[in-house]
Amino acid sequence: MLKFLINRFGQSIILLLIVTVITFFLINLAPGGPSSTMRMDASPEERQAMVEKLGLDQPVIVRYASWLKGAFSGDLGTSFTSNEPVVQRIAERLPYTIELTIFTIIISIIIGIPIGILSAIKRGSVPDHIINFFSVVGLSVPAFWLGLMLILLFSINLGWLPSSGVGARGVDFNLWGWISHLIMPVLILTTTILPNIVRFTRSSMLEVISQNYIRTIRAKGAKESIVIYIHALRNALIPIITIIGVLIPRLLSGAVITEAIFGWTGIGTLILEAARGRDYPLVMGITIVITIVVILCNLIVDIVYSRVDPRVKNV
Amino acid sequence: MNKKIIITIIGIMGILFLNACSYGADNTSTTNNDKEEDPQKGGKVSIPIVADPTFNPWHPNAYAESNVVNRVLFSSLTKPGKDLAPSPDLAEEWEVSDDELEWTFFLRDDVLWHDGEKFTADDVAYTFNEIVLNEELGANNSSYFGQLNKVEVVDEYTVKFVLESPVAALPAYLGFNTEILPKHIFEGEDPWNLTSFNKENPIGTGAFKLKTYNSGQSVVLERNEDYYGETALLDEVEYKVLGDANTHVAQILTGELSIFALDDLAAIEKIENADGVDVYARDTTRFFWLILNQEIEKYQDKEVRQAILHAIDRQTIIDTVLKGYATIADSGIAPALQQYYTEDVTRIEYDPDLAKELLKEAGWEDSDGDGILDKDGEPFTIDFEIGIQGDLEAVSQMVQQYLEEIGIKVNLNAMEWNTMIQQVVVERDYEMTLNWWRYPADPDLSAYMHSKNVKGNNIPGYKNEELDKLLDEGAQTSDIEKRQKIYIEAQQLMAEELPYLFLWYPQEAQVRIDKLKGVPDLSFGDALHYINEWYLEE
Repeated sequence: MLKFLINRFGQSIILLLIVTVITFFLINLAPGGPSSTMRMDASPEERQAMVEKLGLDQPVIVRYASWLKGAFSGDLGTSFTSNEPVVQRIAERLPYTIELTIFTIIISIIIGIPIGILSAIKRGSVPDHIINFFSVVGLSVPAFWLGLMLILLFSINLGWLPSSGVGARGVDFNLWGWISHLIMPVLILTTTILPNIVRFTRSSMLEVISQNYIRTIRAKGAKESIVIYIHALRNALIPIITIIGVLIPRLLSGAVITEAIFGWTGIGTLILEAARGRDYPLVMGITIVITIVVILCNLIVDIVYSRVDPRVKNV
Repeated sequence: MNKKIIITIIGIMGILFLNACSYGADNTSTTNNDKEEDPQKGGKVSIPIVADPTFNPWHPNAYAESNVVNRVLFSSLTKPGKDLAPSPDLAEEWEVSDDELEWTFFLRDDVLWHDGEKFTADDVAYTFNEIVLNEELGANNSSYFGQLNKVEVVDEYTVKFVLESPVAALPAYLGFNTEILPKHIFEGEDPWNLTSFNKENPIGTGAFKLKTYNSGQSVVLERNEDYYGETALLDEVEYKVLGDANTHVAQILTGELSIFALDDLAAIEKIENADGVDVYARDTTRFFWLILNQEIEKYQDKEVRQAILHAIDRQTIIDTVLKGYATIADSGIAPALQQYYTEDVTRIEYDPDLAKELLKEAGWEDSDGDGILDKDGEPFTIDFEIGIQGDLEAVSQMVQQYLEEIGIKVNLNAMEWNTMIQQVVVERDYEMTLNWWRYPADPDLSAYMHSKNVKGNNIPGYKNEELDKLLDEGAQTSDIEKRQKIYIEAQQLMAEELPYLFLWYPQEAQVRIDKLKGVPDLSFGDALHYINEWYLEE
């Protein structure tokens, strides 16, 4: 196990390095630097002063080297647009995105896996078709459209839910204020995440229940619920865990559109601000954090594999 | 096993709950001041901003979202009057020397900073001498003060602006995002890296002071009881950080927002039909333009520029895309500048036949019958580069169609805003582009059309000695009557010569809940100077 972890750590460092090189050079190649985010009527002198202040008159390689040096000592630099440390800006926003992610994933798993199983064991039946239909709908409806429709219905017409924001935090915190702000964004994210889990559960279960050992268990007279939940599900879990391992980083890296529509101050809106403002250090910082999240999720998935299925050995 | 999962889930939710209770707790200070029972006093207005503000009007990162906050937190020497002519703010009155090279401003002696310190002439001198005139800093709007040599302190409440050459628009410039900063906080600090001020705890002189600020969420200001003018009626002004314009519309319909200027007019009908929300058309000092790069020979011909403008049905664009929120422009001086505006100019009407005729005179004719004009075997094609923002794309597509109707092939290239700035504004690598200017309430348009600014904001690269002369004369005399004569002549020349193809003067669609009263009939940005007069009606 230890050897496995050391190995993975080494791979991760190399991966991180590659990601930072590509990102750093790509954003610097993109047309329009920070000086072009100034007001349109900024004078050439004002733009030049900005370039010099941010050190952008230095060659890209030199800037990358000094950025990397800082990054290794845990200093991701200072945000161009706010002059605050990048680490602080990300730390301010990350909890909000984690909040959305956890609710979305838990709800999707609680609903998705049973529905997927139902769909698999009743294959070809009316419920199966209905589930399939809604899965496709959920996968294809664009988040921005659904979000605006929900706002129209629940905020403007019915006046039940706030149309945006994260609710009061700290001293003014109240439970309903918090939940009411969460409902719509979580609903939107769940409609995109849930169908993935349903479909993977279904196909994975279908494969497992057609295998010989399931027939053998049934022939031994085991109760159907035991057959499905104990014997079949456990073996069907690996692909489901894989997809969850893919979905979590997708959510943690910020559901940009959903967060923007609902004014949810998470990583997604921060990415948008960073890209719009050509805030290079912030873009780099977020990229690193997201890469680490992806690497960690993959690692956890691999460890969980071996717990679920003893045949998978990482050691 | 099932139990374990459930316990884990409950545990996670519990942690989240505790987490939600705790973070965001800093920055929040509760104040329990007893409210007076005056019926007009009290309440809170909410204003959307698209990103986190920077509480420093001169900071190169202070954009529109910062301006609307800074205008309320800080004060400047002058402010636009309700007729847009410069009126007193921190300066009670001012006078100019006979040679127009020295302006003396007499300051109020009853102004306190939000931290209780006294405001004096030293603050004004510090702001200009150390920040605006420090070229290394590249302060926002410092280009307005290119002719300023220094600011001298005459006595505790008098300052003298010493100029290199006369600037008649100085009082107007001093009321346009040029708020004064406190010397006692900035002295000895790097003004751009003073995060404790610029991002956390600004100290101004305005009618409201900072109460709380949560990055990415909101800025809440509370009434400054020690304000030197009329104390504000509202208790609080809240700026909500909402990046998406659709959310602004949704929130004003639900009453979560109070007032803003609507950029994308697509939603205007929905708002006009809603109860409790009104839309007002407000004149602004802006003009939309189409420009043809003057580096390219064929566009140096005045007839070609006129022909292209004749081909565009501006009224139809105004009625459709802009929902009527604009009036046709003949020059750059907007009707909002009542003192200077004139309608007595040559108007370029929509007339595609005349357009074709003018182009024919210039040698452009469809000789090979392919529907595209040509000259010496060269087809008339234009590369049309625009940035994506608001209505620009929709407008540009209509312009493209109108030009193709008279036989000009237009390749429209819409790009992301910053990319456009880099390519068009910085590198001048374009053939035709469409955009707008917003300027302080003064008719001096030298920055956009004077030949000395071809490397600056004279983006078309237009050079005309006659216009230069008029602009110089106008800039150098502060005698209103003389200026009126000069700028009427300048408008006539602009309308004829078309340094820019003037499209229209946009009107701002100001969206406001009808409970909010006391807002003067000005554009939203200018009305903010009078936020102490705003109130909520029950």
